Amino acid sequence: MIVLHGLVTPDGAIACWAEDADLPARTTSKAKLARHPFALDAAALAELFAEQKPFPQAGRDLVVSLPSRGGTPDDSPELVRDPLTAGPAARGEHRLRDWKIPVVTPASAVLSSIVDMELPDGRVGADLRYLADIARWAEELVAAGKVVPGIAGTTRTASARWQAGLYGADAVRFTARAAALPAPCRAARLADPAEDVLRAAVHTMVDTIARERLAGQRLAPKLGKRPTPADATAHAWLTALTGAPEFDADAVEFGRLAGRLADWQASGSQTSPVRACFRLRSPEQFDDAALDDEAEAEEPVWRLEFLVQAVEEPSVLVSAEDIWSERDNLVLHRWVGAPQEVLLAELGRASRLFEPLNTALREPRPVELELDTDGAYAFLTHASTLDQAGFGVQLPSWWQQPVELGLKLTSASRGTAGVVAKNTAAGLKALVDYRWDLALGDAELTEAELRALAEAKVPLVRLRGQWVQVDPKRVAAGLAFLRRSGSGQMAAGQVLLRAAHPDEADLPLPVTGVADRGWLGDLLSGTVERQLEPVDPPPGFTATLRPYQRRGLAWLAFLDSLGLGACLADDMGLGKTVQLIALEALARKESPRPPTLVICPMSMVGTWQREAARFAPGLAVLVHHGSNRLTGEELTETIGKHDLVVTTYSLATKDSTALGEIEWDRVVLDEAQNIKNSASRQSQTVRQFPARHRIALTGTPVENRLAELWSIMDFANPGVLGSVNSFRARFSVPIERDNDTGAAARLRKLTGPFVLRRLKTDPKIIDDLPEKFELKQLCTLTAEQASLYQAVVDDMLARIEDSEGMERRGLVLATMSKLKQVCNHPAQLLGDGSRIAGRSGKLARLEDILAEALADGDKVLCFTQFAAFGGMLVPHLSARFDTEVLFLHGGTSKKAREDAVRRFQSPDGPKIFLLSLKAGGTGLTLTAANHVVHLDRWWNPAVEDQATDRAFRIGQRRDVQVRKFVCIGTLEEKIDAMIEEKKALAQLVVGAGENWLTELSTSQLRELVTLSSEAVID
Amino acid sequence: MTEPRRPFRGFPPPAKPIRVPGGLTARSKRGEIAQTWWSRRFIEVLESFGMGGRLQSGKRYARAGQVLSLTVSTSLVTGLVQGSRPEPYKVRIAVKAFGAQDWKRIERALAGQALYAAKLLAGEFPTEVEEVFTKLGLRLFPDSMRELTMDCSCPDWEVPCKHLAAACYLLAESFDEDPFQILAWRGRSRADLLERLRELRSRRPAAPEEPDEPEPAEPEPDAESFWTAPPPPATRAPQPPAEPDALLDQLAPLPLSLGGQRLIDLLRPAYESFRGDQDG
Repeated sequence: MIVLHGLVTPDGAIACWAEDADLPARTTSKAKLARHPFALDAAALAELFAEQKPFPQAGRDLVVSLPSRGGTPDDSPELVRDPLTAGPAARGEHRLRDWKIPVVTPASAVLSSIVDMELPDGRVGADLRYLADIARWAEELVAAGKVVPGIAGTTRTASARWQAGLYGADAVRFTARAAALPAPCRAARLADPAEDVLRAAVHTMVDTIARERLAGQRLAPKLGKRPTPADATAHAWLTALTGAPEFDADAVEFGRLAGRLADWQASGSQTSPVRACFRLRSPEQFDDAALDDEAEAEEPVWRLEFLVQAVEEPSVLVSAEDIWSERDNLVLHRWVGAPQEVLLAELGRASRLFEPLNTALREPRPVELELDTDGAYAFLTHASTLDQAGFGVQLPSWWQQPVELGLKLTSASRGTAGVVAKNTAAGLKALVDYRWDLALGDAELTEAELRALAEAKVPLVRLRGQWVQVDPKRVAAGLAFLRRSGSGQMAAGQVLLRAAHPDEADLPLPVTGVADRGWLGDLLSGTVERQLEPVDPPPGFTATLRPYQRRGLAWLAFLDSLGLGACLADDMGLGKTVQLIALEALARKESPRPPTLVICPMSMVGTWQREAARFAPGLAVLVHHGSNRLTGEELTETIGKHDLVVTTYSLATKDSTALGEIEWDRVVLDEAQNIKNSASRQSQTVRQFPARHRIALTGTPVENRLAELWSIMDFANPGVLGSVNSFRARFSVPIERDNDTGAAARLRKLTGPFVLRRLKTDPKIIDDLPEKFELKQLCTLTAEQASLYQAVVDDMLARIEDSEGMERRGLVLATMSKLKQVCNHPAQLLGDGSRIAGRSGKLARLEDILAEALADGDKVLCFTQFAAFGGMLVPHLSARFDTEVLFLHGGTSKKAREDAVRRFQSPDGPKIFLLSLKAGGTGLTLTAANHVVHLDRWWNPAVEDQATDRAFRIGQRRDVQVRKFVCIGTLEEKIDAMIEEKKALAQLVVGAGENWLTELSTSQLRELVTLSSEAVID
Repeated sequence: MTEPRRPFRGFPPPAKPIRVPGGLTARSKRGEIAQTWWSRRFIEVLESFGMGGRLQSGKRYARAGQVLSLTVSTSLVTGLVQGSRPEPYKVRIAVKAFGAQDWKRIERALAGQALYAAKLLAGEFPTEVEEVFTKLGLRLFPDSMRELTMDCSCPDWEVPCKHLAAACYLLAESFDEDPFQILAWRGRSRADLLERLRELRSRRPAAPEEPDEPEPAEPEPDAESFWTAPPPPATRAPQPPAEPDALLDQLAPLPLSLGGQRLIDLLRPAYESFRGDQDG
């Protein structure tokens, strides 16, 4: 595994380097300045960034100081080595030692999103995360115009540069960030103070980003024929701010320009530890009479109170009154000696930004400024300017969370969802009566309120006991719209569109609400699943659906009948696949339809194939995979004869031309988070397949970013959430960055009609669940696994004829063991420490399961009978999920064992626990887990059950899911089938372990180990 | 640049001044030295005298750092200017200070409105302060050379000589930087004035200032704590200002121009580009 780190170089750039757990921990070099023994070399480092645009510059080697013992640098906390192969701990004095490391310097755009970068077998260190956050901050600073132009260098090497304008609140943020600068970021310049290191990095990034945004722009006007030296220098400097940074200047002019700019930049700095704070209070906050509507005739008076605030401790606030009377100055004396003068200077400075303050300054001891509503509005609009300039500003809460003036649509659809589900004529084309109202948020406005709004002269109006900001022009436009088209009839589908696209250009105001009392209302409120009658699958369907699955089927069928795309987002283990297969069986019961395309991860193809065959034998299923898969016309023709076509994401992309020519009845995405990146080729391709209906299945609609939800929803119902950019502005930024609960509620409402998500922790669902939830997880082999498997089989068959007795038994047992290792991972059989990622079907499936479990906050036990396999997985899974992975094997000491169990059981402890079946199968209490995965099989149900019971040990938990991994078409599946079919016999023969295998005849053995063609998907 | 004419006065042309390191250098390198209305008011008196040549030389002296020191005290500005002789010349610029009675009246008037002190403390000399003096029948800015008494230890008999001119220019610049200097020259230092105003406001002596606590030294990274990252600071997303170029207005005016246009205005389009796509 690899850990990617970041540091600030001596010239202020941010560079990346990496540790590689597969390299030796210790240097053999005797040189004083040696190469870091396990730093990734320059070529491999560049390879990590191969996909990134722009491609980062390879740097020279850097010298860094790292804590070390002798010839061994410390591993960073993120680096995890295979515990079974790692050497003994290093000895010697613990001290900082210099090492040479190769580095690359990525562009700031790459840096700011580095946490999202695909690192198949790597993770990002805390130091680089910190710098990525700084890169994002630099981008925000530039976007907000918080940059100042300046000069670097001397006369001979003059260059223009943009610098961060770190004033006011940003200066405070800078100090806080500098205090949190991780030491590894300073490894190349440990002698410099943290503030200098961070400042250099921020300025460098800001300069780069600013120049990117200014590319091609010219700030300097044309220069006259004989410019004065001053003009020539100013011109050269302005030009250098957008072009090549270097410029020529004569010594005198350079000095003058540099001096003026330095003074200018410094003029924004606030060095005082206290500042003025302005608090706006609306009339009713201090004047009870203003609450009285009778008193409305009088012009309400607002108060802007002056206070002094400690910058570091904003809760320390002293009123101007106390400052003048020196009553409470002791509090402030901790920060400042002469608070009166500070208050005066601050008021003087603020009066430059908000001119009306001058009025208050006409008094000898000003404590507040009285404002009328007009003036209050003016102040509110200046508030952010004052805030940026470093003043404290306290505004009424309603200003920060404005209530939006908008239009509310009320429609009256007829009938219930159940009726509509059966009668297609009553669907989206049916006409419904509607009425528009002006509304504040969700509340419709009365005639009187509308009049008050229309007559308001100031954009601040008091309505229903709260102040709201309204633009008179918008009110007028809204009223005109109501007069023009306040009511009438529209198609039900139109109502849905209004709900989805509240900002349509044909409306003068955004839509703040859509309400309906009929079936449309149920759909819009996201409660339609509860209104529908549960649906039974058609006769011939062999699985029994649980109650919540029958409700899910009804919901899918309802949206299907309306042609609305659906996202079924039930928790993992609740049976999304079986609900979808039931829908297909139901839909195809009456009349034939074009085929449905199911796109799923490679590791799920077998599951789809097996479950469709088992539950709905009437469906014709085609698996489109393998190197000898059909192409061209033959493919088109064959597809036409099938109901379900199952393929993988990678093949859907590869064969997109052929698959895109077919008119599908439905396109289904299983594990739809695979298209979470809407810009990826895979994601673009599957969107383009023509289909009457689309369904996305996923247990984790949002893994990391809200944009993933956009991508999935936009697949199911193209355009439903608007463009990705408007989605970002409307939802992603407010919800992710500002924690805007209002926006989150709006998004839930908007997606409600199309998303059905049931949680396994939901009491209603738990009652529906079986006591023990156990399922076989069917996995496929990769091509590499298949060829290795074949080689092991061939080798055994070649030798078995000539062997007998002990030798034969030994050969059979060794072969069985090897085959099981191949099914686990090629690297386990080869034992060569080769790459882990992307070579095993089981591993791919395990990663999917872990991803979902971790996203739900669940804990997972993984059992294997091979300690070596567990050891291999520890570094890989730590990197893949950027988390700690516990491991318990035969060599674990008693103390370490108890420690691991205790930590796993604690709520905040590690969430993944790998155990070797022998060491961890008995005697432990691991009830914190609600998932158990058996990575390989012991063929002894009793042993497996014993291990499973680690998680079930106490209490009757119904939410524990047990998965047994089985590779399709291999001996694993065949032995599993034997056990299932002859359970009684099997328990007899299998009870003693695997020895019974050695008693099989050669032809039985051949039958058992032969690889069937469906085993591999590639 | 044209060479200033040297008036012939029967002496050999003056020798070049001795360059000195560490002199006070005028920060303005071209054009006008005084940037604000209140320092212009002072320089105008000097320039109204119409002695282009010596003023130009004085300006060059000021920029070249020939003024070694400059001290403003009640009614008197003293300075040392390095000329062509090894011994620097002593310059003195005197103005009549206001008397104690006048200052009492002035202080009472200034204490009457917070505006005066507020603007002065914020680095501005508001026109309202000049009006206060006018209303009291006092003239704050000397409006002719007669109100200024100057002398210099150099052999030049013209007043002001280039050494005095250089000192005057630097004096004007110090007015730009600290408008309290004008009042100090007239008899009230910044500290005294603020003290008096505070007394008039509160009628109580101010509490003594406490000494600053020494800042705790930043811990150096060591081998033990190296890989232990401190907790990240809580990040509050910055609110974008209403206008993309708000920062340009928040800072003090930038006294630079290009071809008659203010540099600030030439920079504004860049800030439009920074904002770019609202979504971005």
